[in-house]
Amino acid sequence: MRKETKFLTLLFALMLPACLFAQIVINGRVTESKTNNPLEGATVLVKGTTNSTQTGADGKFTISVKNLQVKLVISYVGYLSQTVDASTNIAVSLSVDNTNLGEVVVTGLATSVKRANLANAVASVSAKDLVGTTVQSTVDGALYGKFTGANISANSGAPGGGISVKLRGITSLVANSQPLFIVDGVYYDNSSINAGLNVVSKAAGQGSILFQDDPSNRVADLDPQDIDHLEILKGASAAAIYGSRAAGGVVIITTKRGKTGKPRIEIDHSIGMQMQLHKLGQREWDDTKVQAAFGASGLAYYTANGKKIYNYEKELYGNNGLMNNTRLSVSGGNERTTYYAGFTRKDDEGIVKKTGYRKTSFRLNLTQKVTEFLDLAVNANYVESEANRGYFNNDNTSTTLGVSFVSTPSWANLYPDANGNYPNNPFAPSNFIQTRDLITNKEKVNRTLLGGNATWKVFTKDKQDLKIIARGGIDYYTLNTIAIFPQELQFEKDGNGTNGVSIYGTTITRNSNYSFIAVHEFRPNSMLNFRTQAGITEENVDINNVVNTATQLIGTQTNVNQAGSISVAQLRTLQKDRGFFVQEEFNYNDIAIITAGLRGDKSSRNGDANKLYYYPKLSGAFNIHQLPSWSSGKISQLKIRAAYGQSGNFAPFGAIYTPLVPVVFNGSTGSLIGLTEGNNLLGPEKQSELETGVDVGVLHNRITLEFTYYTKKVDDLLLNVQIPTSTGFSFAWKNVASIRNKGVEIGLNAVPIKTKDLKWTSQVNFWKNTAKVTKLDVPAFNTGAFGATLGTYRIQEGKSPTQIVGIAGPGDKTDPESGLGVFGDAEPDFQLSFLENLTYKNWEFNVLLHWKKGGRNINLSTLLSDIFGTSPDYDKKSLDPTGALANGPYRLNALGTTAKPWVEDASYVRIREIGLSYHLPKVWFKNIADVKVGFSGRNLFNWFKYNSYDPEVSNFGTNAISSNVEVTPFPSAKSFNFNINVNF
Amino acid sequence: MQMKPYFIIHKLRNMKYYHKNIIAIILSSLVVFSSCKVEPINDPNNPGLGPISANPTLGEIQNLVTGIESGMRDNINFYLDDAGVIGREFYRFSTSDPRFTSDLLGKGTAVLDNNTFYITNPFAARYRVVKNANILLDGLTHTTATITDAQRKVGKAYANTIKAHELLMVLNLEYDNGIRVDVSNPDALGPFLTRAQSTDEIANLLNTAYTDLSANAAAIFPFSTTLFSNTAGEFAKFNRALAARVAVYKSDWNGALTALTNSFFNLNGDLNAGAFYYFSSAGGDQLNPMFFPPNSSGEARVAQPSFITNADPGDTRLSKTPLRASSTTQDGLTSNYDFFVYKTNIDKIPIIRNEELLLIYAEAKTQLGGASNFTDAITAINKIRNAASLANYSGVVSQAALIDEMLKQRRYSLYGEGHRWIDMRRYNRLNTLPIDRAGDDIWVQFPRPANE
Repeated sequence: MRKETKFLTLLFALMLPACLFAQIVINGRVTESKTNNPLEGATVLVKGTTNSTQTGADGKFTISVKNLQVKLVISYVGYLSQTVDASTNIAVSLSVDNTNLGEVVVTGLATSVKRANLANAVASVSAKDLVGTTVQSTVDGALYGKFTGANISANSGAPGGGISVKLRGITSLVANSQPLFIVDGVYYDNSSINAGLNVVSKAAGQGSILFQDDPSNRVADLDPQDIDHLEILKGASAAAIYGSRAAGGVVIITTKRGKTGKPRIEIDHSIGMQMQLHKLGQREWDDTKVQAAFGASGLAYYTANGKKIYNYEKELYGNNGLMNNTRLSVSGGNERTTYYAGFTRKDDEGIVKKTGYRKTSFRLNLTQKVTEFLDLAVNANYVESEANRGYFNNDNTSTTLGVSFVSTPSWANLYPDANGNYPNNPFAPSNFIQTRDLITNKEKVNRTLLGGNATWKVFTKDKQDLKIIARGGIDYYTLNTIAIFPQELQFEKDGNGTNGVSIYGTTITRNSNYSFIAVHEFRPNSMLNFRTQAGITEENVDINNVVNTATQLIGTQTNVNQAGSISVAQLRTLQKDRGFFVQEEFNYNDIAIITAGLRGDKSSRNGDANKLYYYPKLSGAFNIHQLPSWSSGKISQLKIRAAYGQSGNFAPFGAIYTPLVPVVFNGSTGSLIGLTEGNNLLGPEKQSELETGVDVGVLHNRITLEFTYYTKKVDDLLLNVQIPTSTGFSFAWKNVASIRNKGVEIGLNAVPIKTKDLKWTSQVNFWKNTAKVTKLDVPAFNTGAFGATLGTYRIQEGKSPTQIVGIAGPGDKTDPESGLGVFGDAEPDFQLSFLENLTYKNWEFNVLLHWKKGGRNINLSTLLSDIFGTSPDYDKKSLDPTGALANGPYRLNALGTTAKPWVEDASYVRIREIGLSYHLPKVWFKNIADVKVGFSGRNLFNWFKYNSYDPEVSNFGTNAISSNVEVTPFPSAKSFNFNINVNF
Repeated sequence: MQMKPYFIIHKLRNMKYYHKNIIAIILSSLVVFSSCKVEPINDPNNPGLGPISANPTLGEIQNLVTGIESGMRDNINFYLDDAGVIGREFYRFSTSDPRFTSDLLGKGTAVLDNNTFYITNPFAARYRVVKNANILLDGLTHTTATITDAQRKVGKAYANTIKAHELLMVLNLEYDNGIRVDVSNPDALGPFLTRAQSTDEIANLLNTAYTDLSANAAAIFPFSTTLFSNTAGEFAKFNRALAARVAVYKSDWNGALTALTNSFFNLNGDLNAGAFYYFSSAGGDQLNPMFFPPNSSGEARVAQPSFITNADPGDTRLSKTPLRASSTTQDGLTSNYDFFVYKTNIDKIPIIRNEELLLIYAEAKTQLGGASNFTDAITAINKIRNAASLANYSGVVSQAALIDEMLKQRRYSLYGEGHRWIDMRRYNRLNTLPIDRAGDDIWVQFPRPANE
């Protein structure tokens, strides 16, 4: 038959142009099964070829085939695809896909795979799941509880973000542990940049060397409402193709595109309010307690002030922050050009006065079909944001709002007099009302993201085609951090501080990435498909951070030159990576799908910049239900899958260098050996992951279950090892440890009710990870937090890397080797989330419930408030087993004896998101507009025993190990919103 | 169609056309890739250790010296707080860290931890300076800059003098735990020596340095220092002052007197003459960490009350501990008096000064005994007493009485400078220090840092 075709082709070709191919024309119409409305934009594909077309506005299509012995595949996003035998006139009705098996999942650098054929448990989050229920401030914050395998935690409640995302457990001890974010092919910088507050707080330098400024992380700049969908590659088995940057996983974000057809205009406005998530109250006082805690002088003050009590929790954290979010998008296009323009204006006030977050984002996405064989796409995004974040977290000067709040009894008067003069706080170095009113701590960002993509279809033939894709992107931003501590502050004036501080930081980041990829697809027959791709990649990083710190300010001036003393620090991060990859995918009739690939990377971040490190992968999926012999009626899907892959992670920048650091002394400058000994032989950390799973669907996939088990081993883990300080160094970089993460992820999707008017879809996610240090070439050591007296982490072979230990008192469980008490683990026992969606006629109800079971925090807010006798539960008796001591004295009594009272269970159950909306009848608006009104809330309901504002907290930001430590943070907020959404 | 493996293999074999394409794609991408070289990037932020120790310029040598003298101040407050709090000279109140009043004073069951800032920070800071001094030694050995041999020698003598001082500071905290003296190779550290061996090694470092300094007395350092003098012969006096301190720690009374002779010891001179740690409010520089304004609350140093109650009436050295506007209490400790040795936040802190040398003189003379030595000792003590507006010593003239008097004068003259605890330990009198709260302990020494 093949010869025949060739002969005929030749014959007909000779007859051209007089005669066209003798082809059969198929006409058809595609409708939506429930409403019988025509489906515009559905794809009709002749199976095993690239011959395809799309339906028009009336749902009709026409396609030419050589003969009728073919099958047509009709697909539409969000609907179940159908395969039908060809005939001259076809009517197909597609029904909504209750599962997401039909969706296409972006997994590679240039290709995507149908979810049904995936060998990995790649999580996908749609725009609806991401922002459909309630307004989201940041993308990472919107991901909580929406898929399995992630541990996401807000570092504090400060406006503007600051969120730590860990996928499938700890993947690094000191290096980056956050996933790589890629937006439309552009590597998206997610740095957390400190504002330099340490000069005032002195938080780093005494108990801990880490900065505790609570900066936001820069993925906050991305507007969640621009996102069409995102995929999360949780480990090396899926992310190997991203090589040495993928150890923390990869989040691939695709923004919205215009669709062919009439312009669509969407206007969205929400107005809401946020308030303190959990109030603690204040200690109640009487003369005896005042005397005991603050001595005779305290009692004298208390009596002189008429024993008046002030509600400082309300004063400091009681602001009802107004939240406004306005959104406008316009999209559309024709057959050659599509456009999407999105504009968002957000203005949120924080729960602490003078804090808040403002963001303006503008996005323009264009696609252009230049010729039949060349497609271009351009994405541009400009963001301007400003976050006023207050002044919180740990310090060693008792100046942060948090520390001075807990060190001040509620009977001290801190309010300004009639002339606006603030009294000195008689009990602490800082008057927090004055501090709140007078300081500035602000992050301002201007960010431009540009991405371009050109696809050249080199040739497209019956059985094979070749595409070459060129892609590039630039991520450019300027971040200004502005911190001003005026000289009239209690802790700046009268010789207490440096007579005012003004810190002005500028960070200019210019990152770029380019890749060239060739994709070849070969279909020898309708059963087989081979896809080969190969490419080269280039990524460049250039971050230039300059912080000017001015002290001894001149009067009320805040310009850094209006100062008696100025210091400047500059930190540059430069990096060049070059890599290549090759990948081969084999698909046998959607029954067996096998993928093998290899990435090679070299980087200036490694000790040897030109050494290639290789990251292989191999995966297979077997769709048993696709076997012709399969005929189990009830089970509609049965897939077994396995995937293996490797990925890497760079050492923190500078680890290959042994620097001398600058000092200023007596009018001259000098060089002092750095604290850390570099290592010029360093290579990347290496992760290998094996993931196996089974996916089952029953009742026409009305119920689907995804079960995954993974083992993720990270070798050559870098440690900034504490070395004997008699070397002159305190730390050295060494590849010394291995960690193994094991975990189970179960996702259950179901449509329990589906009638004409009522539909209930339910998604239940369960995930659990356990980690163990399997190798440690240095002696076990404590790390993070503030030393063993108050609870610290301990890296020890055979134990979890996030185990919390501390000095042990009688009755504490101790580790025989170290003699230290073992007080638990920061890692949760398991997490469970329910994502429920209920629609009834025009009503829609969504709820996201999230249960984190177990995982412990080191809560030092309690310690500080106990020391000053201000703990709300100071006089309560609930901790002492003998019942003799109240909580405050009980905990204080333990200080220096056991760290146990400060290590607390951080379990919680919370309704993360809840939303109720109503589509107003279309006829009210003459069918021009679809108007939706709704009410929604975030974190409105919370249940936890943790003795502070929120168990979700991190004094040390996105640090890999040392998160889950609390020192008087910016308290978390809950919020509600009224939304109106208009679609034209 | 049935799944038949042989079918697929058969198909695969017939795919020459396909293979050609794959190979072409892969090869061409590899060819393009192989031309991509990654230029190594040098540290964009700092000078590197390698180049500096291999062949430093004179400017870089100066930088190392400035680095040393700046580094000597690092965490000096922890050293002084450790010695001052354990020696019951003052309390260190801290709202943000309770361990100054729990661990250091041995409150209840609290003990000194081997991995907490009060030992790890001062320990590491001193060895960091030793490291810089070792880099300076390497640099002076290898530099091709134009310096004379004499300059090379006295430059190294400077480095060794600094090393000796820094090691002595560590030994003062670690005491019977001993210290490491040979730390030039981070991958092969020398052993921990006993206390006696450590003291001897420190004395040796000082003596070797002194030999070179005195042999090249006229030489000028190939850099400038804030420590005493840029001339070798003058700097030698600082070296000998330290040697005198080491000698009394070794109970080598004659050695102490010899060292004093060659030091800046001056019975009639300014008691405050000496070598110092300097501070300034210039950008990037450090402020005096021992300074808190009077009447501070929360973060404060306040005098242990016995310092005031045990003083002789009229002792002007009590100006170091002025009366507060109101008393302050923390963790069961109360005081009415501030620690106010430094009057501004840029006051210098002594490393060693003439007042201590006079007292070393008095101590050595007293210890050697004999009427004439006692007279000499009393002469020195009277200089100290008169300077504090006290009348001449009128007590019993006996070795025991003079030792008591000398220790008392040391307590008041060197208040807060890190001596009281060490003196009481030397004379086995730690148990005479006041106990403020039932159950408090007086520590003899700090544990060896956990990481060692």
